[in-house]
Amino acid sequence: MHIVVCMKQVPRDNSVKINSDLSINADGIEKIINLFDEYAIEEGLAWNEKHSGKLTVLSMGSDEWVEQMRRALAMGATDSLLLKDASFAQLDTLAAAKVVAAAIKKLGDVDLVFCGRNSTDDESGAFAPALARALGWAQLTYVGKVLDVDPAGKKVTAERHLETVVETVTASLPAVVSVIKDINNPRYPSLLKIKKVAKIQPPVWTAADLGVSGLSAAATISSRVPPPPRPSGEIIDGPDAAAKVRKLVDKLLENQII
Amino acid sequence: MAGVLVYIEQVGGDVAAVSRELMGKGQELAASLGGPLNALVVGGDVAGLASQVVALGAATVYTVSDASLATYTTDGHVAAAKATVEAAQPALMLASASFQMRDFGAALAADLDAGLAVDVTDLKVEGGAVSAVRPSHGGNVINTYTFAAGRPVVALVRKQSFAEAAGSASGGTVTSLPLPATTMRTQVNNVAPKTGAVNLTDAAIIVSGGRGLSDKDNYYKLIPPLAEALGGAYGASRAIVDAGWVPYEHQVGQTGKTVSPKLYVAAGVSGAIQHLAGMRTSRNIVAINKDPEAPIFRVANFGLVGDVNEVLPLLTAELRQRLGR
Ligand SMILES: Cc1cc2nc3c(=O)[nH]c(=O)nc-3n(C[C@H](O)[C@H](O)[C@H](O)COP(=O)(O)OP(=O)(O)OC[C@H]3O[C@@H](n4cnc5c(N)ncnc54)[C@H](O)[C@@H]3O)c2cc1C
Ligand SMILES: Cc1cc2nc3c(=O)[nH]c(=O)nc-3n(C[C@H](O)[C@H](O)[C@H](O)COP(=O)(O)OP(=O)(O)OC[C@H]3O[C@@H](n4cnc5c(N)ncnc54)[C@H](O)[C@@H]3O)c2cc1C
Repeated sequence: MHIVVCMKQVPRDNSVKINSDLSINADGIEKIINLFDEYAIEEGLAWNEKHSGKLTVLSMGSDEWVEQMRRALAMGATDSLLLKDASFAQLDTLAAAKVVAAAIKKLGDVDLVFCGRNSTDDESGAFAPALARALGWAQLTYVGKVLDVDPAGKKVTAERHLETVVETVTASLPAVVSVIKDINNPRYPSLLKIKKVAKIQPPVWTAADLGVSGLSAAATISSRVPPPPRPSGEIIDGPDAAAKVRKLVDKLLENQII
Repeated sequence: MAGVLVYIEQVGGDVAAVSRELMGKGQELAASLGGPLNALVVGGDVAGLASQVVALGAATVYTVSDASLATYTTDGHVAAAKATVEAAQPALMLASASFQMRDFGAALAADLDAGLAVDVTDLKVEGGAVSAVRPSHGGNVINTYTFAAGRPVVALVRKQSFAEAAGSASGGTVTSLPLPATTMRTQVNNVAPKTGAVNLTDAAIIVSGGRGLSDKDNYYKLIPPLAEALGGAYGASRAIVDAGWVPYEHQVGQTGKTVSPKLYVAAGVSGAIQHLAGMRTSRNIVAINKDPEAPIFRVANFGLVGDVNEVLPLLTAELRQRLGR
């Protein structure tokens, strides 16, 4: 079977700056695979090992993302594919999902797509549902356990871990599945494997290759500001721990916080 | 396109608190947009709920009732919503930002080619156009979105962003719509409550522990009792979730839950940027740490420099006594 894992590169932390054109400046912050996507890769690898076939790591990004794509290859992905075009840079999440959908259609033989629950930078969690709808496929989001992938019967069964309930759902294949963090333990690629993939250049597909043009964002960012600073706090002093604790509880009661 | 359509969520046969908030804000937004405030109730049998929603000020409550809609499926619920959007032609559709509503709202927006904003904390109408405020990048960036004209907007709103609708006798009506023929690509086999579920995002008070608690036993000895004395829930940093002390359910931060309780107590938590991402919007923050330079103190309203092993038992005892628990 052919599994695709959608991978986004993100900054390790969000101590980002805002450029004057409202784009995000993450210069100087280490770039990593979006944490949830590591779990998506691991899940794809596990089912790929069971059913044998291809696992393609697919990103809509820039050349800077290739290093993280190679990391996915070192983890065990068999193929990679980079979607890159100047016209992709300004897209919102729904339009981005349309581009990725066009690529998955062009691949032609994909049975299952794994995504992360959300990215840790833009954080919308809208990509996987938007991708599924653009493809006309089933979606299973917030999956904490994949119980079975049955390529012959064209079915996938999984647990969706929502805030207060766990749903067990069967979807027809092909499908898009987004995963949460405690679904598995992502493997750590060995140095040997990292070395082996160090020169791989993922094939690049452009807007022309995909036949997508005239995509426009339905949403535009009109302002971006840092959050208002928190009012400066107070350090609770006292001769000993017991005195400090009493003073803290006084403050909490006085301010009607408890 | 005119007015606002609110997707009503239900909890045990009642309108969810977040839906009442959306009806409250929806009233104001609909007035600014110069259109009606309508609502949508989808489910297996929703007649009882519909009358509750009329009392929350809806001009028209659309209901789509079908046995196949008793449990949520993307295909079924999106089809019901699309039929309603066609009938009501709203400029703006509101739903909550829960996991289920993200599954639903993003799929609906994709189908409608609508504008989408997820985890919205504020909404405005200016010059007839909707704008939505949403944080991103772990709360370090506050974005305002505007939307292309001529397309509807779907906004998925964070809980507790707005005041609940007061309720008014509006004389609204109920209109029932049939569920259009839909291919159901998923089948729900079972829905089980999470065992020991902690809905941290709903808790008014959260006490979180970190690596400063030394080990798992000490965490359970000190953190849940304090949470209990405060009538709250307990949370954790990623460091101790990854160490296997506490289930992932309890993780607060960039890759865990985003919470904004009335009171957040962080004990033995350093305050790494990824942890702050999940709790910096809490209304009050108390930090307890032995290191006066720990970054957590920079976001704390009240900081207490001390050893958790000494401070936490004293604090729990003091609270039990003063709060009579
Ligand atoms: C109004 C608006 C304007 C924007 N403008 C710009 C802009 O000008 N420039 C810019 O760079 N970005 C822009 N973005 C951000 C860009 O659209 C998103 O980064 C991207 O679409 C993914 O959205 P997300 O991170 O919210 O996805 P989420 O739904 O949070 O991500 C979930 C999963 O989807 C997959 N995924 C997400 N993104 C990708 C990807 N690129 N490739 C492969 N898989 C992926 C991953 O599996 C990920 O775990 C804009 C977004 C919006 C909403
Ligand atoms: C991609 C990514 C995502 C992440 N996501 C998250 C996330 O969602 N949530 C999260 O929390 N972290 C996250 N992290 C991890 C984060 O960077 C920190 O490593 C983590 O938050 C540290 O946990 P901690 O505060 O418990 O431990 P530490 O940083 O080790 O801090 C322990 C603190 O306890 C104090 N202490 C020690 N002993 C005592 C004592 N006896 N009494 C009082 N205080 C004491 C110390 O002074 C110190 O401040 C993420 C990291 C990455 C790279």
